[in-house]
Amino acid sequence: MTDIAFLGDAAIKTQALARLRSHIEAGTFVIFPAWEDGKANVIGALVEADDKQAFAQQYGYPIAFATALEMIVNAFKVVPAAEDFVGALLERTPVGADLSRVVPQVLAYLLERPDIVALTARHAEMERCRRSVLALHQRVIAGEEPDRKEWKSARLAAVATSDTITDDAHARLAGLIVEAAAWPATMRSVLHDTLGACGRLEIQLMMDAIGWTDADESRVFKIREQAEVDGRMADLEGLDRVLALLDHDDPELARGFRERLDQFSKLGETYQTVGWKFVELIEQAPPAASPERL
Amino acid sequence: MRDATEQDFDDIVMKSDKPVLVDFWAPWCGPCKALAPTLEELAEEYADEMEIVKVDIEANPALATRFGVRGIPLLMVVRDGAEQARTFGTISRSRLDAFVEANVGTAG
Repeated sequence: MTDIAFLGDAAIKTQALARLRSHIEAGTFVIFPAWEDGKANVIGALVEADDKQAFAQQYGYPIAFATALEMIVNAFKVVPAAEDFVGALLERTPVGADLSRVVPQVLAYLLERPDIVALTARHAEMERCRRSVLALHQRVIAGEEPDRKEWKSARLAAVATSDTITDDAHARLAGLIVEAAAWPATMRSVLHDTLGACGRLEIQLMMDAIGWTDADESRVFKIREQAEVDGRMADLEGLDRVLALLDHDDPELARGFRERLDQFSKLGETYQTVGWKFVELIEQAPPAASPERL
Repeated sequence: MRDATEQDFDDIVMKSDKPVLVDFWAPWCGPCKALAPTLEELAEEYADEMEIVKVDIEANPALATRFGVRGIPLLMVVRDGAEQARTFGTISRSRLDAFVEANVGTAG
């Protein structure tokens, strides 16, 4: 992996944009699947395969970014918004920029988010873990290379500390973010896992805000499952059927479920914000010292 | 990483000199597919300390029965010919690392 944008070759950027635009114009750019029957998402459109490693190798983006990119783009939910984001990403990536620091920069940004700090600060040891993981990323950004033992030590401490938090669900979820981020940015899954942990916190906060519980979720599932067995309201399909069943069986649960659907449709804000943060950092990345093909 | 079948499982896993992390999976299992890149990374990182062996339970149902596999993905550590620990379901990279560290240990 070079982590040098477009491997320092303007022709590669031109090719990437051409491939994206051809899919957009043909109406074959999709959120899912990655690459099937001529349809392509962000990865498939650019490498013509479901292959994140090829995406990183061919275009010079960090492997951790390539691994998390579908998750980020999918958060835009509708194709036009996803197209706009991917187009902006490619357009604003300077040819030959050194992208090796953008993943640690984003991980540091996530670890410094005020809402996450507020949660880890409730538990002194968790806050110490957050700071130690953050310090490792800051050292990488400064050009150092913390060794494997330092990362492992910080990571195991974070996992052990998260396990001690048993009475504070939100702080525990913040702890899962810290432990997920406790890897060098060269590890392909680090950003994907850290964003996933952020997403779980986002969902839990939303569910708690509207008073929707796992038991409510389970009750909806059971009603739907029973209807599959007894064939009730089989003239309806999908969500319409679920809502009709709930309206009939438990109107209060139906009201909560509609609110849950409404709130879930708004999720993904963290991923979108991180996506635009990446664009901003990539745009500001310095030129590589020795671009391979400039 | 390598694959094991009902025919060679004992030779590859139970008689191994090194600890073995066995990944019980199936082709139709989405979470198993999602776990695969993580296991590839783990195999590289722990190459000196342990083996990672994959078992397709659809092709090798007797192994699923033998080890009481009721859901996948299921990861099991075998050491000196005996099961030492298992973890079931989706697991984060950090949690998996902690699981391996606790049950296999590394040079650091």
